[in-house]
Amino acid sequence: MATDSHALTTQEHSPVAGLAHDASGGISNPVLGMLLFIVSEVMFFAGLFAAYFNIRANAGPDWPPATLFEGNPLHIFPLVGPATALLVISSFTCQFAIWAIRRNDRTAMNRYIAVTLILGVIFLVMQGIDYALLFEEGVTLGSGTFGTTYFTLTGFHGAHVFGGAIMLAVVLYRGMAGQFSARHHDAVEATSLYWHFVDVVWILLFTVLYILQ
Amino acid sequence: MATTTLHPAAPAYRSRLYEWLTTTDHKKIGILYLINSLLFFFAGGILALVVRVELAVPGLQFMDEAFYNQAFTMHASFMLFLFVIPVLAGFANYVVPLQIGAPDMAFPRINALSFWLLPLGGALMASGFLVEGGAAASGWTEYPPLTDDRFMGTGTDLWIVGLILIGTSSILGGVNFLVTIFKMRAPGMTLFRMPILVWTALVTSVLVIMATPVLTSALIMLFIDRNYGGNFFDPANGGQAILYQNVFWFYSHPAVYIMILIAMGIISEVLPVFSRKPLFGYKAFVYATAGIGALGFSVWAHHMFTTGAVFLPFFSLMTFLIAVPTGVKMFNWIATLWQGKISFTTPLLFAVGFLTMFLIGGINGAFHAAVPVDFALHDTYYVVAHIHYVLFGGSVFGVFAGIYYWFPKMSGRMLNETLGKVQFVLMFIGFNLTFFPMHQLGLSGMPRRIADYASSAGWNELNLAATIGGFLIAASMLPFLWNVLVSLRSGQIAGDDPWEGNTLEWATSSPPPPYNFDHLPEIRSERPLFDLRHGRTHAATTPPGPDRSPQPTH
Amino acid sequence: MSTPPRSGAGSGPLVAAIVIIVTAAIALIALAATGITPQRAWDSFFPLTPVTEQGDRIKELYDIVFYIAVAIFFAVEGAIVWAVFRYRRRPGDDELPPQTHGNNLIEVIWTVIPTVIVAVLFVLSWQTLNQVDTAVAGEQQPQDVRIRANAAQFQWTFDYLDANGETVFTQNVPQGEQGGMVVPVGRSVTVSLRSPDVIHAFYVPQFLFKRDVVPGRENVFEFTVDEPGVYRGQCAELCGTFHAAMVFEVRAIDSAAYDAWLAEQVENASATPPPAPSGGAGEVVEVTAVNIAFTSGELRAPADTPFTIRFVNEDDGVPHNVEVKDAGGASLFQGEIFNGNDQRDYQVPALPAGEYEFLCTVHPNMTGTLIAE
Repeated sequence: MATDSHALTTQEHSPVAGLAHDASGGISNPVLGMLLFIVSEVMFFAGLFAAYFNIRANAGPDWPPATLFEGNPLHIFPLVGPATALLVISSFTCQFAIWAIRRNDRTAMNRYIAVTLILGVIFLVMQGIDYALLFEEGVTLGSGTFGTTYFTLTGFHGAHVFGGAIMLAVVLYRGMAGQFSARHHDAVEATSLYWHFVDVVWILLFTVLYILQ
Repeated sequence: MATTTLHPAAPAYRSRLYEWLTTTDHKKIGILYLINSLLFFFAGGILALVVRVELAVPGLQFMDEAFYNQAFTMHASFMLFLFVIPVLAGFANYVVPLQIGAPDMAFPRINALSFWLLPLGGALMASGFLVEGGAAASGWTEYPPLTDDRFMGTGTDLWIVGLILIGTSSILGGVNFLVTIFKMRAPGMTLFRMPILVWTALVTSVLVIMATPVLTSALIMLFIDRNYGGNFFDPANGGQAILYQNVFWFYSHPAVYIMILIAMGIISEVLPVFSRKPLFGYKAFVYATAGIGALGFSVWAHHMFTTGAVFLPFFSLMTFLIAVPTGVKMFNWIATLWQGKISFTTPLLFAVGFLTMFLIGGINGAFHAAVPVDFALHDTYYVVAHIHYVLFGGSVFGVFAGIYYWFPKMSGRMLNETLGKVQFVLMFIGFNLTFFPMHQLGLSGMPRRIADYASSAGWNELNLAATIGGFLIAASMLPFLWNVLVSLRSGQIAGDDPWEGNTLEWATSSPPPPYNFDHLPEIRSERPLFDLRHGRTHAATTPPGPDRSPQPTH
Repeated sequence: MSTPPRSGAGSGPLVAAIVIIVTAAIALIALAATGITPQRAWDSFFPLTPVTEQGDRIKELYDIVFYIAVAIFFAVEGAIVWAVFRYRRRPGDDELPPQTHGNNLIEVIWTVIPTVIVAVLFVLSWQTLNQVDTAVAGEQQPQDVRIRANAAQFQWTFDYLDANGETVFTQNVPQGEQGGMVVPVGRSVTVSLRSPDVIHAFYVPQFLFKRDVVPGRENVFEFTVDEPGVYRGQCAELCGTFHAAMVFEVRAIDSAAYDAWLAEQVENASATPPPAPSGGAGEVVEVTAVNIAFTSGELRAPADTPFTIRFVNEDDGVPHNVEVKDAGGASLFQGEIFNGNDQRDYQVPALPAGEYEFLCTVHPNMTGTLIAE
């Protein structure tokens, strides 16, 4: 029945044809998929932040609770402030990698991705040291609502940094294997979006937990 | 058209089972979704019968309170998270790529992952029955502090982890649907020519990626409180018990629409085809769907009117308002039937069943929007009646309409119409006998989730009626199962387009080949096959009056 | 392409009519067999008769919502049924119906009308809300009765508070002639709610009202009973295994009688408890309560001589006791109520030979048979 002259032929509508008209929209499927996934991640953190704000609002001015700790256990220096700076810098290096591969400069891309990855790993190590110091001061997940919210928020952020670092490592591996070009680098774009997202979450966390308290 | 031998068969060394287990074809995955969902539907149904048997007469006859609480908790968890949501996702998985003329979903392997997370999560949840202390028993809402490790055992942890996996499955599926719908439409398939089912899948997916992660965060907080000494919801250590309810319902109210919108999409396909008319007010219907999705995020606290901790007038107003787009849809469906030429096929019967029963579910829901009336009815059997009129009277009738409608496309064979009608009649009567008396039980003060009641409370006859109705519903599944088994082997051959359908899935073979289409008809409206069959000239015979058909004006 | 299967040529309406008539007949016979009068059937669509001023307001709102709902139900359901039967496809009719895509005017109308209806309902329900949910903690009149209802797994206790919020008497027995939440008729009663463990809900169906009891949060509401009587109440929020056992009664009595009752209770509570008779008299009968149930359903004791019931309450934090009733339901002995995990020796007076019922006053569904022989 579908034999009138307007019908598409098999060649025009094969899977390849399907992919062909994907490209017409501009944004590629993996990048759009990553953007939508990041929307869901934003909502995930929104849930955790909402819990934090609710608990914080009910706790009153005594925060972190003086009954639990002597003085404030949260120190911006020497660890957290520099770690924040490193993560912000890593977002820039990640973007430099994108610009490099858009210029078809894979070597530069690999170099920037490697720097980004190293900065991310250093951030994780510094967070680990910070956790160890807090544990020494007796701050744990069970230390009232303060300990619970602090470790849950920063812990899940850390897990996301770890996930992003794995994605960066995969991109680096594929880049060193000679993949990606100016036309085909959706994985790099998607990873970079994710890394920026992780960075933004940390800036929010840092502001809320350390500066606004 | 019927000769679609262009595609090479799967290599002989692969068994059919292996092929199904490793498939990334959206059609096979869609069918796997349906099978998995129906299995959990039957498991949840058996648990419902367990509950109904215990409540048939006063006194504890067959089980203790602890098992009773597990039974209703797992009944609801199976039905909501492992039946209604996935079965609708399954229909969308099968139908959406076909209806927009795409060869598959945007990410076929992620699609397979989305599916396989479901049986895994479901098995984890169900395995609670095997551990010491039994399955989760705090109701499907799992309110803390009752879910704290002081009160509930390992079954609750299994429930949490299982549900996180199921939620992840939904989120990945939602991303996949959105990219598919935005990026994979065939040439000519503009947004306002998409079938309504695709629109409902789109809005559902937006709700899923916005709401489900919030549930994940609530569950993770619960898990931390239970296992790692966290204090999110522990009032003794500064936590907030009500916080969980806010976060949970921020997900679970939109989830109510995740559980119904695609069913609305299904009957919006069925009603026009069998009344031989276009859907009345297509654009209004799309806007109403989007409106329900948007308003769905502002009504969560109407589940919490009796907590004394929410701003009542705002949530009351929003809850009343959401009745408006729902009402618009109801009128659109009726206007679609009006002046049509209605064929009484089984899919149409189930679709009309949806209309008549969902109407009751909408009206009895409005009682709860009036806050003082909710004070009287909240947490009574009236709420149980309401949720079942929406989810059973609505979604389940929609699901069966969809099964009877697309079974010929999926299998190449028709289901038996007589058996289908027997099923419909049994199910319709059993449904009303089970759930209508629950209105009266709730009004006479019977709280939900109680294992037993005093025989002096005046609830005996109505509870017995509800139990008898429950068994009628179970009986209605027998002709259905028989029908499916017989028809798969020896049903009437369906052909490409047995119903004179409107949408693209009827333009390909039954079942469709891998990558779906050898030829696509031209798409100039939301009913490309109707155009092909009757020609666009038919628009000229439309009676005078504002013609609001979606013209390609943009 | 195969032809679309149609419902049997013209037999469809007949079959449908037969199914409907048979179903309706069975339904009517079943209703008649249970002896339900039309009046009772009609009443079942309404909440129980309200007994508080606040409940009366809620009932008025319910009635308005109900009649609007019924009108909408019949109008829309009628339209569906009419459309389905009027516009069915006749056998052999292959002509297309008019392809109506929409109609702006009618769509605007059916959007505006529901909007107006829900706006009216919202305003009405808001007004009612402002009449029934006005309690603010600490703003009570001196003559108001102040009660703190404590909900814990799985029992209710009621603290009667003086004007300073101090407890003057605690009612440990949630129901029965000696127990229940006793309130005066015609005076405003302010209830504050407290839970030490999980979320419960204070629900009295004839108040048409419930309010959650949330740990870490003190909810307050008030009501004025306008009819003396005994009203069943129950926990309405799932609170654990024995949620269904968490029942209580509200006993509304005359205002003067209430004052006398409270004074008597306060006096009894301040009086020193009678010293327990030393040394177990007679035979010792053991009974244990665990998981809101007695472990033995039958006890045997000697007739016509005092004996001792050694009662072990193994339910942590849950109050139990043993009460003995005769066949007519009159209480012969009531043991002290205490929280588990603990035990008491009750000295029971001599009982004539025969069968008695023993039960827990707090949980009347915990019962057994006591045989004196």
